Amino acid sequence: MGLSTTGDKKRYKVGIPRALHYYRYYPFWKKLLEELDVEIVLSPPTNKNIVEEGVTHGFGELCIPVKIYYGQVLKLVENNPDLDFVFVPRYVSEVPESYFCPKFLSLPDVIKILPEVPKILNFEVNVKEFPISTSAIELGKQLGKGQTASVEAYKKAQAYFDEYHNFLRDGGSVNHALRLVHRNLPFKLPKKEMKGDLRFLLLGHAYNIFDTFINLDFIKKLHEQGVEVLTIENLPEYLFKKPVIVNPRGGVLRNYWQHEEEIMQAIRFFLTKGRAEIDGVIFLISFACGPDSLISELIMRDMKVVGLPFLEIIMDEHSGEAGMMTRIESFVEMVRRKRKRLGLEPRWKSKIKFYEGT
Amino acid sequence: MLISFPNMGPNWVAFKTLFTALDLDVVVPDPTNREAIKIGVKYSPEFVCFPFKATLGDFVNAIEKGADTLVMAIDCGPCRFGFYASVQERILRDMGYKDIRVIPLDQADLLEFHWVKTLQEVSGRKDLFIYSKYIKAVIYFLKKAKLLNDIQTAEGLFRAYEHNLGDTTRVVNELLEKLDKANTLVELRNFKKVIKNDFNSIDIDKSKTPLRVGLSGEIHISLEPYVNLDLRRKLGEMGVEVHQSLSLYDWVVHKFHLNYHRKWLEHLAKPYVPMDIGGECVWVLGEYIDKAKAGFDGFIHSYPFTCMPEVTARTIITNKLKKIYDLPIIYFSFDEQSGQEGFRTRLEAFYDLMEARREREIKSTPEFMANGQKKIYPQYGGEFYNEIAQLIQAE
Repeated sequence: MGLSTTGDKKRYKVGIPRALHYYRYYPFWKKLLEELDVEIVLSPPTNKNIVEEGVTHGFGELCIPVKIYYGQVLKLVENNPDLDFVFVPRYVSEVPESYFCPKFLSLPDVIKILPEVPKILNFEVNVKEFPISTSAIELGKQLGKGQTASVEAYKKAQAYFDEYHNFLRDGGSVNHALRLVHRNLPFKLPKKEMKGDLRFLLLGHAYNIFDTFINLDFIKKLHEQGVEVLTIENLPEYLFKKPVIVNPRGGVLRNYWQHEEEIMQAIRFFLTKGRAEIDGVIFLISFACGPDSLISELIMRDMKVVGLPFLEIIMDEHSGEAGMMTRIESFVEMVRRKRKRLGLEPRWKSKIKFYEGT
Repeated sequence: MLISFPNMGPNWVAFKTLFTALDLDVVVPDPTNREAIKIGVKYSPEFVCFPFKATLGDFVNAIEKGADTLVMAIDCGPCRFGFYASVQERILRDMGYKDIRVIPLDQADLLEFHWVKTLQEVSGRKDLFIYSKYIKAVIYFLKKAKLLNDIQTAEGLFRAYEHNLGDTTRVVNELLEKLDKANTLVELRNFKKVIKNDFNSIDIDKSKTPLRVGLSGEIHISLEPYVNLDLRRKLGEMGVEVHQSLSLYDWVVHKFHLNYHRKWLEHLAKPYVPMDIGGECVWVLGEYIDKAKAGFDGFIHSYPFTCMPEVTARTIITNKLKKIYDLPIIYFSFDEQSGQEGFRTRLEAFYDLMEARREREIKSTPEFMANGQKKIYPQYGGEFYNEIAQLIQAE
């Protein structure tokens, strides 16, 4: 492990589990680590084995994404016994005055006590205390790199990450983009475009929406029903500038969970100006998700006021395909009938309108 | 204007004094009961944590008793607690209580003095003359909270030794009544003596060597006897000393950055969780290590079902700390489905386990026992704890 004694440099081998923040930050990590001259090993996509492994190591009350994380880490270690590090970042806050879920805050602490896990490559993002470049320097130190190299790597990674986000905002899907990133291909939209007569907003955490095993390929199921799907990542940036005030009449509460803040900001647009742009909202929640249990309640109450169809799907490791299919089909059918009754044109190829500058 | 607040065990005494000292009218909700829980569960989101449902039930109860202004603590930490006030207000509005106000009490960092704003809002005055009353209110609040903490400490010790089952519970209830009526500084200053005298009047069996159990977990669950199925009383009546440093006073002093006990616990837990991740995660780990080092017989961790920080604490204890410190631990996760009988069975099994462990320990290390008592390291416990312990040990 580490530098060999003969003086020629050995490249560190770092494993990244394909779970949780992978679906959000992977392009950033990949560029950052590659710039720091590291070989990246990615764990396989989630499968039944991994879920089972995770369920045995994490106990019942954890939410399913965290259990999958356990499984992915163990799988990664099992498949690659020569790993130098496992990359387990600690995301505390990315925007001042906000937090991630407590389970993210303590992620390295619960992973490092698992059996046979190699050293953990720590990357703590906590902008309350220090900027991200400092985190990058700390990361570089663990890999034997100097400050300048680390900061340079961070800048490049951030530029690449911005490029990735722009691609998503142009309409790329996250899974497609992640595949391109993994294969080092340039960002390019697929030729075949998905067109449907309905348009839904799919809300939820990235690790619930884009992990195709645990949500039983939810997006594909919607596509098969002839539904266009929007996710938060596809929405323009300016929607996310102003914070949501959860309860204007009572105590003015700023939403302090960043994921949830994004969900609320996205839904705020569609509840007000963008009301006519979508036909329905689906919220994917994993069982025992703390933040979502409250947020979904707030959203549900707002939806009732505005009259936008809303479906909340709670999933865990026991989700059955048939039951979920029935729910999706009936929901789509219901929305379609509503459109027909109102005499609205199908949405074929109509572009979504975002009112710039609002 | 009638002010109310949710239940948290005996702490209504302290909260009540905070508002009555400002010459405001207060209505205390009924002790949490089945009806309140039922209403709370009916109107709350499906899998939100249990304190949310319990406090919502309390609010409804208080509103029906005439309250129109509800005070709820908020936080801006990473756990769900910060959302309680606003989501509950929303739910209450939708339930048809249109003209109630929920006033948040920001306790994220008491040294930022956001709570003064709450007092201003509650009293409806901002002039300088009211500030002397604020000071009075806060002093009374802190003093009563401290005394409640003392009662809790004494109660945990005495119940294990009592001759007649129920004596301690009666004394505690009488003391709460007395404390509620004590509204001058002189009375409060002398109240510690009252506590000691009242407890001293209990007929106790000094020859007993009860098991010692540490208690910790989420604050509302640990303090509210209805939702934790009266865990502390059940343990005491089985003949177990209950040591719980967690209380309202403990928490408030921590929020004033003056709780050195908690700082010590943070220090102990640092290798396992280096930061406060909300809830009581860090301190539960610290307590577990502290109690293990103090030679306790067991540890009980109670938390609401799916509580995010406590679940992390549980994961770390089961996967790591238990292997290092080998202190028996039992976890209780409470929600509206908890049943009395299953709970009691688990508690009894845990008791048997601790007893067997202690017997084995006595056999293997006879010098470990001093005077038939297991040693607790000398710096254990606060000043009041030591005074109470002396009451029990004195011939």
